[in-house]
Amino acid sequence: MIVHTQQITCEQALRLQSGARLAPVTLAYETYGTLNAERSNAILICHALSGDAHVAGRHTTQDRKPGWWDEAVGPGKAFDTDRYFLICSNVIGGCSGSTGPSSINPETGRPYGLSFPVVTVADMVEAQRWLIDALGIPALLSVTGGSMGGMQAIQWPVSYPDRVHSAIVLASTARTSAQTIALNEVPRQAIYADPNWNQGDYYGKEPPNAGLAVARMIGHITYLSETSMREKFGRRLQERERYGYDFATEFEVESYLKYHGNRFTARFDANSFLYITKAIDYFDLSLGHRELAEAFAAVRAKFLVLSYSSDWLYPPEQSEELVRALLRNGIDASYVEIKSDYGHDSFLLEVDRLGELTRDFLAGLEREIARPAGAPGNPSASPGEMVEKGTPLAAWAAKARGGLRKVAVPRQETA
Amino acid sequence: MTPSRPDLDVIIRMVPKGARVLDLGCGDGTLLAELVEKQGVQGRGVEVDEANVRACVSRGLSVRHGNIEEGLADFPDGMFDVVILSQTVAYLNRPLGVLEEMARVGRSAIISFENAGYWRARWRAVRGRGGGSTLASGLPRIRSITLPQFQETLQQLGLRTEESILLNGSGQVRRWPTIRARAAVYRVARFPSAPPV
Repeated sequence: MIVHTQQITCEQALRLQSGARLAPVTLAYETYGTLNAERSNAILICHALSGDAHVAGRHTTQDRKPGWWDEAVGPGKAFDTDRYFLICSNVIGGCSGSTGPSSINPETGRPYGLSFPVVTVADMVEAQRWLIDALGIPALLSVTGGSMGGMQAIQWPVSYPDRVHSAIVLASTARTSAQTIALNEVPRQAIYADPNWNQGDYYGKEPPNAGLAVARMIGHITYLSETSMREKFGRRLQERERYGYDFATEFEVESYLKYHGNRFTARFDANSFLYITKAIDYFDLSLGHRELAEAFAAVRAKFLVLSYSSDWLYPPEQSEELVRALLRNGIDASYVEIKSDYGHDSFLLEVDRLGELTRDFLAGLEREIARPAGAPGNPSASPGEMVEKGTPLAAWAAKARGGLRKVAVPRQETA
Repeated sequence: MTPSRPDLDVIIRMVPKGARVLDLGCGDGTLLAELVEKQGVQGRGVEVDEANVRACVSRGLSVRHGNIEEGLADFPDGMFDVVILSQTVAYLNRPLGVLEEMARVGRSAIISFENAGYWRARWRAVRGRGGGSTLASGLPRIRSITLPQFQETLQQLGLRTEESILLNGSGQVRRWPTIRARAAVYRVARFPSAPPV
C-alpha cells in the first residue's frame, strides 16, 4: 500500500485552551480507503507521543518499514481500509508536518522554539475537528487511538458530542496520573540539561540530541514490562562473552535503548517532545467538575475501552476509572482488559484480539445507525437525533444527576 | 439456549419489556442478547472472563470486564429495573455483599441457582459423593444453597420475594419444592419499609 502525506493549512486562528491563538495552522495527514457516498464510514486514528500521520503502508516501495500501526490498519485488518475511510493527522505541536515549535513563526520569520504556545489534548482535537470539516465529514463513525491517542479519542465526544458515533480507547486514561507526569518530567529534564538545547533556540545549530536520546530511552522503558524485558533481553550480553569490567555498552538491553534513543533523534524535534509531554500532563477531564463522570454528561457516543494487564504506564485501573465515569452516565460502554505481557506497547502489538473486537463493534454500530430509531432492541437514536435523544439509561442517569453544577475552569498555566 | 438451563426461559419471562437490565456474570452474553432481542431491554453486563467479554462485545452488547464482587460499584443507586444473577450466586466469595449491591443498583433482582436440597443432590450426598462439585470435576468452589436457607438469607437482607419459580427438568414444581425442585428462580425486591441502602 503506497500512501502520501498531505498538508492543509488553516489561515484562521485556532483559539487554544490556554487562551492563546495560533495562526496559521498546518496539518499533515494521511487517508486510507474511500469515503462512501453518505460520508458515514470515516474513522479518525489519533497517534501517541512519538507518532505521526503515517499510520500504515509505505511512502515509497523502498521504505524499510511501514507506518506505525500497519499491523492494525489495512485491508481486512482491525481497521479495515476496504470498509472504512481512515484519517490520521499529525498533532499540533508535533514535528512531522503539522505546525509545532520547529515551524516558522510568521511574526518573526524564525522558528517558534519556546515562543510556540502550549497546546493541550483538547487543542489537538480542535485542530482535527477543523480537518474533518475541511474533508466534508459530518460525523465520524469512530475515533480511536492508544495512549495519548486514546486521550484524544476520549476528548472527541466530550468536545463534539454530535460529531462522533463511537470512541475506541486503548491503553489510556481520562486524567494523567502523577506517575505518568513524573515519567514525562524526567525526559524533559534530560533535554533541558543538554547544553545544545539553549532554551529551545537551537534551530540551524546542533540540536540537543544527547538529551532527546535519553528522553527516548526512558520512554522505551515505560513501554515495556518487566516480563517482556526479561524475555526480550534477560541478562544477555551484546557481542561479548564475558563482563569487561568497564563502562562500555555490555548488556543487550543497554544496546537496545541506546539504538532506539539515537535513532529517535533523526526524526524527532526535542521541543516537540517537550510540548507534547506537557499536553499529556495537562490532560484531566475532571478539571472544572466535581467528579470525572460530570465531564461525560453530554456524551452520546458508544465507547469500547481496552486496557492491557501488564501496562504499568496506563494501568488497567485508569481505564476502569474512565469506564466507571461512562457507565454512571448510562453511556453504552464496554471494557476489556486484554491479558498481555508486552506492557504499554501491547496496544500496538496485540492486534488479533483488537481486530476481533473492532470488526464486530464497528459493524454493529453501522447497523444501529442504519436502523430507524425506536425499533426494538435499538437503544440509540438515529444519527440526526444523536444530541436531542439519549438512551433511556442515559436519560435516567441525567435525571438522577439532577441539576449539573459547573465549576469555572481555571486557566491553565503555560510552561 | 442449552436445554440444561430452563431457568433462562423463566428469567426472560420475568423481565418487563424495555427494562433497564444489568446481568451479573453474563458469560458469553447468551441471556443478555436474548433479552435485548425478545424484550427490547437496555442491557448492561459484568463478566470476569476476557474471552467471554470479547464474545459479548462481538454480539454488540455493552459489557464491563471485571469481578462482580467489585464491579457493581460503577453503577449508581437504582439505575436498573432488574439486576440478574443467574447460576452464579453459589460461586461467589461474598454472596451477601453482592445481593446487597444488587438491591442497591436495581429496583428488583432476579436470582437463579441449583437447589442443593433437590432429592437427587441429597441422594448423591447420602451415597458419599458430597454436596458440592467433586475434586475431580475441576469446577470452582461452590456453595450448597437450599430453598429454606435462601429464603432465610433474603429475610436477613430485608428482601421480599415477589415471585419464585421452582423447576425440575420437565417443568414447574408446586408440591414439595424443597426436595423436588432442581433449580430455583427468585424475583426479589427491597421491602418498601426497609431503609434505603
